[in-house]
Amino acid sequence: MLGLTAASPIEARHALTRALVTRAQNGDAAAFGELIEDHYDLIHRTAWKWCGNRADAEDVAQDVCIKLGAALAGFDHRSAFSSWVYRITLNAVRDMQRAGKRRGQYADAYAEVTPDEQPPEQEAAATSRQLWAAVRELPDKQRNAVLLVYAEELSHAAAAEIMGIKEATVSFHVHEARKTLRGLL
Amino acid sequence: MSDDQMPDPFDSLKATQAPDPRADAKQRALAAGMAAFEAAQKKSEATPQGNPWGQRLTSIIASLKGIKIMDMRLPIGTAALALIVLPLGYQLYSTTSMTPAEVAVQRPAIVAPQAENLAKAEEPAPVVTAEPVAPAPMQDIAAPSALTRQAAPAGAVVQQSAIGASADAMFEREMAMPAPMPSLIALPTEPSGDTFTSFDEQRLKTAADEPVSTFSVDVDTASYAYTRRMLEDGFVPEPDAVRIEELINYFPYDYPTATSAAVPFQPTIGVFPTPWNSKTQLLQIGIKGYVPTVEEGKPANLVFLIDTSGSMDESDKLPLLKRAFVLLVDQLSANDTVSIVVYAGSAGVVLEPTVATDKAKILAALDDLSAGGSTAGAEGIELAYRLAESHKVSGGTNRVILATDGDFNVGIDDPEKLEDFIKGKRQSGTTLSVLGFGRGNLDDATMQALAQNGNGNASYISSFREAQKILVEEIGGTLDMIAKDVKFQVEFNPAVVNEYRLIGYETRALNREDFNNDKVDAGDIGAGHTVTALYEITPVGSGAEMIDSLRYGQTTEPPVAGDEIAFLRMRYKLPESDVSQLIEVPVTPEVVYRDITDASNDMRFAAAVAAFGQKLKGSNYGGEMGWAEIEALARSGRGADDSGYRVEFINLIKTASLLKPDTDSDPCDLSTSGDCE
Repeated sequence: MLGLTAASPIEARHALTRALVTRAQNGDAAAFGELIEDHYDLIHRTAWKWCGNRADAEDVAQDVCIKLGAALAGFDHRSAFSSWVYRITLNAVRDMQRAGKRRGQYADAYAEVTPDEQPPEQEAAATSRQLWAAVRELPDKQRNAVLLVYAEELSHAAAAEIMGIKEATVSFHVHEARKTLRGLL
Repeated sequence: MSDDQMPDPFDSLKATQAPDPRADAKQRALAAGMAAFEAAQKKSEATPQGNPWGQRLTSIIASLKGIKIMDMRLPIGTAALALIVLPLGYQLYSTTSMTPAEVAVQRPAIVAPQAENLAKAEEPAPVVTAEPVAPAPMQDIAAPSALTRQAAPAGAVVQQSAIGASADAMFEREMAMPAPMPSLIALPTEPSGDTFTSFDEQRLKTAADEPVSTFSVDVDTASYAYTRRMLEDGFVPEPDAVRIEELINYFPYDYPTATSAAVPFQPTIGVFPTPWNSKTQLLQIGIKGYVPTVEEGKPANLVFLIDTSGSMDESDKLPLLKRAFVLLVDQLSANDTVSIVVYAGSAGVVLEPTVATDKAKILAALDDLSAGGSTAGAEGIELAYRLAESHKVSGGTNRVILATDGDFNVGIDDPEKLEDFIKGKRQSGTTLSVLGFGRGNLDDATMQALAQNGNGNASYISSFREAQKILVEEIGGTLDMIAKDVKFQVEFNPAVVNEYRLIGYETRALNREDFNNDKVDAGDIGAGHTVTALYEITPVGSGAEMIDSLRYGQTTEPPVAGDEIAFLRMRYKLPESDVSQLIEVPVTPEVVYRDITDASNDMRFAAAVAAFGQKLKGSNYGGEMGWAEIEALARSGRGADDSGYRVEFINLIKTASLLKPDTDSDPCDLSTSGDCE
């Protein structure tokens, strides 16, 4: 039902990724290079959205590349590769922020957000900045759930796979996030 | 996608686009990823582990025993689900993805390599079974270390399971593998983010079949410091992080020292009942390195190579490192010089070679260090070696000391080249030690590999106290090598010993023939270092044999040397020599203690540490001993404990018992969220 026309390029890319993963797991460095090249933009974009500044995003993205290199042999195809990449990225963000220090350091870096996007009226831009800042300050799971579902526009099921929790729990975290941010929204 | 009422403020989140990544940051990240990948490859080629679960197939089957229906259904159900969910997930993903759709590469691309693997797998693959222990451990042999890749052993080719199945079935199985036991799957970087060389535990051997056991000494203690830190922070360390010999060797033991530098150590041997198995015995071999007198103190030329990448900006990394170095500088004299080179973040010489007594200048340079920026490769290591060579002291210690939290982007990207470089410099007289800091990024395997190639030590500095131990109390051992390439070989007398098992030293095993080959690299011993090795031995006729004797073809060997238990040979080279010396000592019944309470404190304590390590890593052996018994044993072996390390260990047992209660067979099984949490 998903539309036979759409299915084939997706299948194709899925198969390509799978093939690359398998080859890389068998020790093919070129395949691994292609694999991270393909996924770097996803990793960087995610890291940037989660951290809100370039320096942290680049650090996290580099970390993730290193972890992928070291951990790829352990990837077991239980989830989609991209879900796994997401998960490692979110963990890397968490580890970095948990390591402390830097979060505060860049607390105001969200000012970078949306300067070049469709320039909305001043008020809307301010609200958006405020919202991003508030969302990034949410507890890990709430933040991950909200950003995966709304910023990355993934389904609850996909978000659940990435976070390693049940679908209903994703909705719960989103709900909790709404409660936390009630005053602001 | 929202199930809430329409004007949802969260919806505005999707309007924000992240800026495109910068090309140079991307290149750096990709290069770092490749380096990590290659390092991991080398590691995995050393162990026959190809497919992460294929080799574990037996245990998966065992775990499904008795639920035959599940056995069928689970894979099929999961496969069906995967066929639906994965494409769906991809479609959803691709609606936001910025990566363009690529040309189709369909299943054949996957099937082909597997078919090839299967073809190879059909040839009997004895390597996997025949030598389960040998491959991983080869770190110490000359070229080899965790980083070097010899040609892949035949076993490595057996990537997928060796079960004869069509390539298609393989594919389905791969798709559908019911996510067996997360704890069995090698996941070097998760959950801690630190990487370790994975290894299999030493297995039980029969004295009749393999009477000779050979290994290299290991004076590193990084594993204990890391394990302690994890436990104190409330985590059970991953099994590969626990190297039992490093746990045991962390503690000072009161072995008699040698009297001259010419024969720098002598063995202390004891045999006593095993605390976790009443029918077997432990054979303990301990040595302590000669401590040169003050007049013999050698001048030192030290170059610190310090990682200043952004990740070092944490209280337990660069700031701790600064305080640690202050301690070290305090130990040095007017004969010694110190210089500092930084890499990553900033790069270059921070302190030109300076006499160690000019403390103000050294400390000012240390104070100025700051961490920041993402890691940029610099010619750090070459610069450090150049500096070391320009102020080389003959007859003294010339050493580069690399301090990092796991970023080995020192200017030579290819790990193999880096090792060769370090090895080459070692031959020209400049050695390398590695100090690891922090948690979350620590690359233990690379640390070990580099230090071993550099004839130095790898230490993990988790706290100021640990810095004090390594850089003050054991400074002699850290800087002053008294013997190099120290190898142990123990030959068991099959007439007395039925089975034996070396505890720990998995990553240090040597081939029998390597013992007499002076070209084969092995561990080094510093002044005052103690090294302890434990064997669990099963005496003939004890009834504790795990391996049945052969029904056919067993030629009963004539008892060779009467009632001797074993024969110990040790080889070492003096620091300036390339020819090894030999020490030989028989293990006779005179050193046997009938009761463990008769054994020395050191013996009881070492046995307790071994039991602790085995229990912590979920070993196949010795698991029955409860934490309380281990604690009691450690207490009984505490002795004077001037330094307080043994008391600290006893407290650590308590912590471990809370984190991994006796009844809990494998805490990893509790993890519900899979591999990456």
